[in-house]
Amino acid sequence: MKPPTSWKPIHKKLAAAVILIIVFAALPIFIENDYIKHLLIMACVGTILGMSFSMLFSTGLISLGAGAFYAVGAYISASLAMNAGISFWLTFPLTIIISSILALGVGAIFVRNGGIAFVIITLLFASAVVIAAGQIEFLGGWGGIIGIPRPTALGPIQFDSKMSYYYLILIILLLVVLAYYALYTSHIGRAWKAIKLSPNLAGTLGINQYSYRLLAFTIASTTAAAAGSFYAHYFQTVTPGAFSGWLSIYIQLYAVLGGLEFYVMGPAVGSLLMTFIPEYLRIIKEFEPIVTGVLLLVVILFFQGGILGTIVNATKSNGKNNGQGIHSIRSWLKKGKNTGVRES
Amino acid sequence: MALLEVRNITKIFGGLVAVRDLSLDIREGEILGLIGPNGAGKSTLFNIISGFIVPNKGKILFKGESITGLRIDQIAQKGIARIFQEPTLFMQETVFENVLSGFHRHYTQPLWKVFLHTPRANSEEEDKEKKAAEIIEFMGLSTLSGELAANLPHGHQRALAIAIALATEPALLLLDEPVTGMNPTETMEMVGKIKRIRDKGITVLIVEHDMKAVMSLCDRIVVLSLGVKIAENTPADIRKDEQVIEAYLGKQVI
Repeated sequence: MKPPTSWKPIHKKLAAAVILIIVFAALPIFIENDYIKHLLIMACVGTILGMSFSMLFSTGLISLGAGAFYAVGAYISASLAMNAGISFWLTFPLTIIISSILALGVGAIFVRNGGIAFVIITLLFASAVVIAAGQIEFLGGWGGIIGIPRPTALGPIQFDSKMSYYYLILIILLLVVLAYYALYTSHIGRAWKAIKLSPNLAGTLGINQYSYRLLAFTIASTTAAAAGSFYAHYFQTVTPGAFSGWLSIYIQLYAVLGGLEFYVMGPAVGSLLMTFIPEYLRIIKEFEPIVTGVLLLVVILFFQGGILGTIVNATKSNGKNNGQGIHSIRSWLKKGKNTGVRES
Repeated sequence: MALLEVRNITKIFGGLVAVRDLSLDIREGEILGLIGPNGAGKSTLFNIISGFIVPNKGKILFKGESITGLRIDQIAQKGIARIFQEPTLFMQETVFENVLSGFHRHYTQPLWKVFLHTPRANSEEEDKEKKAAEIIEFMGLSTLSGELAANLPHGHQRALAIAIALATEPALLLLDEPVTGMNPTETMEMVGKIKRIRDKGITVLIVEHDMKAVMSLCDRIVVLSLGVKIAENTPADIRKDEQVIEAYLGKQVI
């Protein structure tokens, strides 16, 4: 019989992602404007954060606290740099280690609850992190931590231009993409999806819902913290205000806008659009948030698969039902409290 | 030797006794049929064995070891697979991906090797893909391998559910109405497949209303009525059992 070909589409996607990253690597050569380079950097950070949201979504969990570990990572990195006086090249791996331990501890409690409970818990956690950072004197209070050093020079490479930061975040993004793809294409990624699609069937295949969700939570949170570490050394300032509740909503929008079923490309597309469209709408500055808001509403209400989902569905020649599943938060909510809890 | 022993199981829902002091053995390598009128407690017993329901009293022993009170996934890890009465599949996935998910408990490579795609992790993946293709062929789904589960007709969805269960490489397979809703040709095909599954060394417990299928498949049959075992015998003897006929048709008919 013919060999199974189910792994091939995913390799095609991976190839597309690599080409995209090469395109983005060449971009700053053509861009003179530092502000646009800054926007590109923030789009990369947004992509990483959106991907961390998508990882939890791939297990059927919606997190409104995606920004929480971003803040945790930024603060860990900032405190390490300011108090221990170590450079980014040490604070970055240390942040990853410390935040993964924190995520494991916090996640062990959070992940016990699925559905709406998890949404609320993560939302509250994100708020708690911001308030805690504002209240703790050691973390600079509401004024935050200022004067975080730039990454020290790596041989001839100085981190004094937007260009150098851009390449740094691009490499981090590339590593995250590769690691995420390796996971999504493995039995671990399949187990996550299994939990989302049918908790009961997943259980009868020996998949422990709790531990696989905890694994996703830990990896996703650690990734967000890594992005936070970059943020701290890029902005050289961290304040609680930068991590307000809106941040988590925005991160979620990156993923929803791009397409929730596209765990890597979705957040990338969403984050690029969400970073650049508002900037170009600034011509009518007062109305900018309104226009952005309406655009988002239109996408969420009428293009449920997100931008990529709509494109993919439109290009599929046969018009039959190609498994319109959990493409949108709306259908996810309709599924209700299907968390695979034992009925007894 | 008994592969699975049900010992004095009682399950009460509210005021309703679904299963009362039920004991039965499933012997290694047999196909055991579980029949009875609606509400006899067949599905409850299924859910108890597979861990979806915790019994009020009694014990379940699998290979001589108690599995009562274990989680669903722990019971699956021991080698008990089940299919559900209603089609329960990963609908938005292809047939192939569905079956591949079934191999979950047989992956041994640690996380960091998966991360790095080491040769051993890759060969493990290839090995599972090969086995999945074999199972798909065995269940007669080869031509549909790339199709989404949601798009399959009912009979093929049933076959896919069994294919996923086979991928867990179970010692005991629990089938809840595998031929219900099938036409006679499909039914006989499925009966043949279930016999071949048993020949592979997998013990089968089957709940089914289609009497023709049950009689031609099973080595032994247990009859439940109102949560109590009323008969346990070979198909030929069950057919003649007066208590069974009474439970199914009511007293006045005899």
